[in-house]
Amino acid sequence: MTKPALAATTAQRTVALVGRANSGKTSLLMHLTGTLQRPVNFPGTSVECVESVTAARGVSLRIVDLPGIASLQADSRDEAVAIAFLRPPGGPAPDLVCAVLDACKLPVELRLLQELRRLRLPIVVALTKVDVATAEGFPIDVERLQQAVGLPLVRVNGDSGAGADALREMLALAALDVPGGPESAPEFAVPDGGMPATGLPATGRTARRSRTDRIDAALLHPLLGPVVLLAVLFAMFQLVFTVAEPFMGWIEAAQGWVNDAVDGLLPPGAVRSFLNDGLVNGVGSCFVFVPQIALLIAFVTIVEATGYMARAVFLLDALMRRFGLTGKSFVPLTSSFACAIPGIVASRILSDERDRLATIAVAPLMSCSARLPVYVVLLAAFFEAHIAGMLLLLLYLLGIVAAAVVALVLRRTVLRGGASALAMELPVYQRPRLRIVLAHTWHAVRSFLRTAGTVIVVSTVVVWALGYFPRSPEIHARFEAERAALPAGEAGEARRAALDAEEAGANLEQSWLSHIGRAVQPVFAPAGFDWRMTVGILAAFPARELVVPTLGTLYSLGKVEASRDAPDQRLQDALRSAKGPDGKPTMSGLIALAVMAFFALCSQCAGTLAAIRRETHSWRWPVFTFCYMTVLAWLVAVAIYQVGTLLGYGSS
Amino acid sequence: MTGGDALAHRLAACGLWPGARIEWIGRAPFGDPLLFRLHGYRLALRRSEAERVLVRGVEVSR
Repeated sequence: MTKPALAATTAQRTVALVGRANSGKTSLLMHLTGTLQRPVNFPGTSVECVESVTAARGVSLRIVDLPGIASLQADSRDEAVAIAFLRPPGGPAPDLVCAVLDACKLPVELRLLQELRRLRLPIVVALTKVDVATAEGFPIDVERLQQAVGLPLVRVNGDSGAGADALREMLALAALDVPGGPESAPEFAVPDGGMPATGLPATGRTARRSRTDRIDAALLHPLLGPVVLLAVLFAMFQLVFTVAEPFMGWIEAAQGWVNDAVDGLLPPGAVRSFLNDGLVNGVGSCFVFVPQIALLIAFVTIVEATGYMARAVFLLDALMRRFGLTGKSFVPLTSSFACAIPGIVASRILSDERDRLATIAVAPLMSCSARLPVYVVLLAAFFEAHIAGMLLLLLYLLGIVAAAVVALVLRRTVLRGGASALAMELPVYQRPRLRIVLAHTWHAVRSFLRTAGTVIVVSTVVVWALGYFPRSPEIHARFEAERAALPAGEAGEARRAALDAEEAGANLEQSWLSHIGRAVQPVFAPAGFDWRMTVGILAAFPARELVVPTLGTLYSLGKVEASRDAPDQRLQDALRSAKGPDGKPTMSGLIALAVMAFFALCSQCAGTLAAIRRETHSWRWPVFTFCYMTVLAWLVAVAIYQVGTLLGYGSS
Repeated sequence: MTGGDALAHRLAACGLWPGARIEWIGRAPFGDPLLFRLHGYRLALRRSEAERVLVRGVEVSR
């Protein structure tokens, strides 16, 4: 080895992996470096990319997978980030570009390559999907192509990883030979047709229909297409609500186990309450969503990787456009039915900024799974089973209709502007790669726990403190005296549990949270909410599911778990029989309806607001989303209660 | 291609440059967007985008 080569071994070379979306960059990175990728944030942006390090010929190669680009003129935020990485205004450019070209659409890829050459960086070409191109009717003469291009070119297979070793070698060679090197190769000529001599038959494809054509004939059929799309959506909902259920049950069981362990280890008091009702509760209420988020992201990634997602966007574009959104908004909005947080993150695929902001602003209106425990307990307490099912459907529809209206209003006012471009490729159908699906899922779960988790835990602890303090020594003394007077034996034990629950209720009743609740209650009086429901709503602002345990404590029931399928019977009874100071019932079917509509529309999730803040880089959108949703929720709840009362349903 | 704006650039990056051959494949259920084949891949364009593309020498397939 020569001296300069040895010197080069000490330095790490940065390789930018550049190519269109769908060109197979991610699987290539996996084969090049052999590891699941490490997601990193581009400085100053929320755009994430993955990078991995590998080595060949004594050169350490840091390979950065840039967001997909179609040209060096940015069309979306992600593209702008990728281009800024290649052409940094101040900092150093990457040492090397690895242009990942999809053999299925060679002419457009060569045009991109032509643009990349203007960066004056050494380029190594990785040609992917040659087998797919052959199956599509475009056999490619790789040798002739390489001669025409005049750059180091390696054929790689994203499925098997064949060619990855050769590519790694080639990258190392190019990295060692930076001065002169590939840059000195002559520019190839692109004739009028945009097609350099590639060995492609001039007339294009062979006549027979490819596999993708045959699948598309069914999946894009005017009648069959929408049916299949509905079936896919149905499968997604089943996954989120049925398959995730046992996993969520285990997490809740684990939380209960930790709660019991804390109870056993610590004496009753502020520390134990902080750990159990604040910290463990907060951590539990983040982790309980992990199964749904993981399954949903895995499903969306699989649908995306097969190529079907682009078809779904194609089928839905015209419908979504009526509401000022685009077909692509469909992905974040459907994700939001499980949880708005991954949905908001998924809105990155929207290239147009106005479309993206409108989608982010309405995503939290999709009825997420955290609303379900609230719905089921109120539905079970106040409605017959057959009406309850219909009302549940109506609550989901309420969110969808509200989202459509809000999106339309936003696109006509603050986000006014011409329609964005669609110009979207429908890729060749492919089998998804399990490792990539797993990597994406893991990545999404981690980012959920980091962004939302912190905010949810902190705000849960804040609400706990508001509900716990101040402690009144008189209340404690009163209940201690009653407890001391209890007879021994089973009857005494039962009474003791009831006393404990009553004490918790009495304490919460004179806490800061209750004071705030009573002070705010007049605001909710037009919707028929009493102070208890108001306190429950306030407690639910960090995370909706907190309303159920809070109401449990307020009604002196002790511990009440939020459940999505088996609502607590005692809480149902307590809600039905609750009376105000005037002796009138404080809840009714009508009020339950108003409460549910409020929950359907209100922005009660600190994690969602944190995600919006992160994705929009400003406080304006989270504040706006919070305000419009809360006002809308209040208006609808008041309208339901007032109209219902006028129609004489007030006490039913 | 007509126009010199961002959309024109975007369409050119998709392969819609002078002389490119484009084949119409189909349309979505609501009549929009449209599906085309060019340079061997499938491209969905809204009607509004497709209107920016000038074609000549139309050939009707059997």
